[in-house]
Formats: sequence, C-alpha cells, structure tokens
Amino acid sequence: MIKHFNKDLNSDYFNEVYDFKGQWDVPSRCGLKVVKNENQTVVVATELYAENPGTSVTNFCAPLATVICDDFNIDHQTMVFIVHTPDAKSKLSFMNENFFRVDFTRDGKKFTDPKWSQIEKSKVDELIGITQKQ
Amino acid sequence: MKFKLIYPKWEKLEGQTIFNLPPHGPVVMAAALPAYVDIEFVDENVDTLTYDDDADFIGISMMLTGQIKRGWQIATEYRKRGKKVIFGGISTMLHAEETLEYADSIFLGEAEGRLEQVFEDFKNNKLQKVYNYLAVHPDINTIGPARRSILNKEKYYHKGVRMVDLFHASRGCKYNCYPCAVAYLGGKCFRPRPIDRVVEELATIDNNRLFIVDNSLAQDKQWELDLFREMIPFKKNWCSHPIEDDDEVLDLAAQAGAWFVYQAVFDTSDYIRDRVKRYHDHGIAVEGTILLGTDDHTEDDIKRLIDFLLEINLDLAEFTVLTPFPHTKAYDDLLRQNRIIDKDWNHFNAGKVVIQPKHMTPERLQELYHYAWDTFYKDETQSEKMFKLFRSVIMKEIANGTYKPIREEMANNSFGQKVKR
Repeated sequence: MIKHFNKDLNSDYFNEVYDFKGQWDVPSRCGLKVVKNENQTVVVATELYAENPGTSVTNFCAPLATVICDDFNIDHQTMVFIVHTPDAKSKLSFMNENFFRVDFTRDGKKFTDPKWSQIEKSKVDELIGITQKQ
Repeated sequence: MKFKLIYPKWEKLEGQTIFNLPPHGPVVMAAALPAYVDIEFVDENVDTLTYDDDADFIGISMMLTGQIKRGWQIATEYRKRGKKVIFGGISTMLHAEETLEYADSIFLGEAEGRLEQVFEDFKNNKLQKVYNYLAVHPDINTIGPARRSILNKEKYYHKGVRMVDLFHASRGCKYNCYPCAVAYLGGKCFRPRPIDRVVEELATIDNNRLFIVDNSLAQDKQWELDLFREMIPFKKNWCSHPIEDDDEVLDLAAQAGAWFVYQAVFDTSDYIRDRVKRYHDHGIAVEGTILLGTDDHTEDDIKRLIDFLLEINLDLAEFTVLTPFPHTKAYDDLLRQNRIIDKDWNHFNAGKVVIQPKHMTPERLQELYHYAWDTFYKDETQSEKMFKLFRSVIMKEIANGTYKPIREEMANNSFGQKVKR
C-alpha cells in the first residue's frame, strides 16, 4: 500500500498512505496513523513532501481533519490531531522532523481555524503508545 | 469578441535597477485563445491602463503575489462598469480563494485546450465561477509557440537595448524546494516539451537574446543534451536557471548560447565554489541567487556568505529575504510556528521582511539584506557588473554575426518613458 513512499522517512508515525481531495479537489496524499485509546483518538497526519501530488496537510488541516474524523468514525470531541513533518534527510535544520498538535474550532460538522503548537516527539510517542527505543 | 488582457503593475524593489521584461504567462495564454477572439494586451508596467473602453470581456493575468492587490483593484473598477472579469496565472492559483471575491471567474491551471469552453460559456452568459484544471495538465505536445505578437515590443527597450524574450522548454518540476511553489503550480513531475515543438517556437522569436524561464533545466540529462544540440543553429544567447552539473551538458549549453545562469548559493561549501567554477570554465557567467533569513542563518552566517560570494567571483548577485509564498514548505512551517508577521501581500516581494527570523529580529534581517546588496556591489556597482555581462554577450554576437546595434533613436527612452542621460 505504501509502495510509492520514500522509505528513508520514519514510518513509526503512519500505518497507511491516505488519499484525499485537497484544495480545489486536487488529489492529495498524506501518511496516516489512527490510534484509538480509551479516552481519546490520536490522529497523526504526516506530510509526504514529494510523494504528495497536491495540497499539504498544513494547508488543508481543518478540512482534512474533518474528513478523517468522518472516515474513521472518530468522536470529534476526543480527537487529538497531530501534524508530523518528517526528517527529510537534509543538512538544513528546517527540514528536520517536527510534530505539531492542532486545535480547531468546531463549526457545525466541520473543523475550522486551526492553531498549531509544537510538541515533543516523546509526547507523541506517549500518546500513540510507542515505547522509547533504548 | 474583444478580450482585454491586463498584466497589473507591481512595486519595484527599492534601490534596484528597473527592468521590465516582456511577460510570459499572457503570451502563452493568448496562444490558446479561440480564433474568433480579438485580444488587446495591456502590461501596466509599461502601458497606461484606461477603463472606459469597448472590451467585451476582461482578463487579468497575475504572476507575482505583489500583483494581486492591484489586480483586484482593476477588477473592481471594471465590474463597477458592468464588465465580466476572469483571473488567471500563477498568483491567481496561489491566492485563488481571495481572488475569487473580486472575480466573476477564476481560471486555475494551464490554458491549452481549455479556453474554448471558457469563451463559449461567456458568450452564453454561463461563465463558471471556477475553471479548475489544477490536477489535469494538458498534453505537453499541444503546447505550441507563445503568441508574442500581442506584445508592444517597442515598450521593452531600455536606452535602445532590447530586453530578452521569455521562453519555456518544459513545465513542472521534480524538485520540491523549500521556498518554491512550482511543484504545486506545475506538478511534481518534470514535463519536457518535445524538442521539435521547442524548435518550432524558437524559429518564431526574432530576439537573439532569451531568458529560458524553466524552473531548472537540470532534470533530464538526455533531454537537456538534445535541447542544447538543437538550439545551436539558432545562435541565440540566453540566460536560465541551473544547468546540469556535467561537462558534456555544460559544453553543449555553451555552444547553444548559454550566457549566464541563475544559481542558488545557499552555503559556503566547496560544492558551490566548484559549481560556479565549472560554469566559468565553460564560459558561462553566474548570477548568484541568495536567500537570506532561513532558520540556519545567524548574522555571522549571512556575513560569511557575502564574503564567500566575493571570493568565488560571481558575475552578479541577487539577494532576497525568505518570503513564505502560499503552497510552499516555507509557508507551512512558518504558519504553524505563527511566524508570519506581515500579511500584506504587497510586501511579499522578497525584499521586505514579513517573517520573524529564528536568529535575529525582523529589523536586523532587513538591515542585513541591505548590507548584502551594498557589500557585494561596493567595489564594482551593479551597473558596472551588468555592463560587463552585457559586453560579453555583444562580443559573442559579433563573433557569430548576430549582433544588432542598439537603437540610437531610443537612447533617451526607457520602457516607453523619456529618461535623462
């Protein structure tokens, strides 16, 4: 399923490549991991850079979160949405791996007004149940 | 039917030599118009725009983010007069939602094979709000010669010297560079035009100096070799974005008339030093394009970078500050970090700081931007360096018999305006 994906990128944070209609319905794609816990559902959407032919996760954050929420029957009140920008294996620091938690406003059946706050990888690992490698 | 196509003016960067090149997007679009459409083209950078005319339909073509607010103003004036306005071009695609508020229609994507539908809809009073072809590119074989006859060529002279004509040999880009939106606009797949179609277009251009505007020619070595081989007989001299770092390619490029290239200089590495030297070894000049204010740049880094530029003998340098144009990774990163501090699109001209840099204040980055220009051109001004570059192309043209003397009758004229000498 992820045969097109650049294997150099860290796959701990996605289980599948998720295709969606981006801005102006342009075919778009991100990495996706959905982890349902007892009290919340954690969604990690990974930017795929060159592997994504269309709109970035960041640029389409609120509509994408809305669609994923519907697709996976996630309770919007308990969803934790995380944007993952993977390490692009560059010597440029701004191509390093980062994670952002996104908070939205709920407007009817849609998310709007995304607000990003950077979070530590260890926090994401905790949320999705990854045991830290020694 | 009379279609008036307008290319809005934009504010030029402070302190820089003003050059108005004949625009490329409008001439490519014009080539795709149905035969029954009469087109009048107004480039507001060199022409005066008047609103009270008999055009049936108004088009606004925008390339730069710095054009969009002016484009919206123009549309508003025409719509007050009851004219329908359609927008297209690169910055319409980058700013589509906002532009839609000022438009009867917006066209997203590439024009070939699509305009018949648009004009039929207009004639039938069924103009759609959005013509969305972003996801489906036209067959590259259908892209024929641009329609440069719509340009008022006399307006693109500076003191008797004709500006380069713009020309493209490919679309799309397989690279996905941090500050660049081309992958969004033209797709992440390199789409070279067939060589015979490129040759067909070259044969229509009466200018012996060109700017090949492709994002990077260094995307398919065999195509590049074929292209340069076929270009040799035309005896054009041209500038372009990077060429493959390969002796065989560079040698053929030089034979095909490579005059100078725009080469990004992003660090002080031996790779960059050697890259510039190899261009020079092949007789190709280099204009460095230097982006200041990335998250890797401290003040010391920027100063060291400028010293390095002087060491490697760049022929020209053009400095910009990191500007987060929509649909770039730079935009996404800075948006998430809430570091876009100025949302006035007129300020998105790559000369004004609109972000919070990581290692300094915005004001300090602005000072360093001016410091970069001043320091690089301290011992030899930009005009002097340009003159040397210009002299080199004249020598080449004299050698191959294509030199056209400057037009003395236009010596006191710059882009249609009188100038003092």
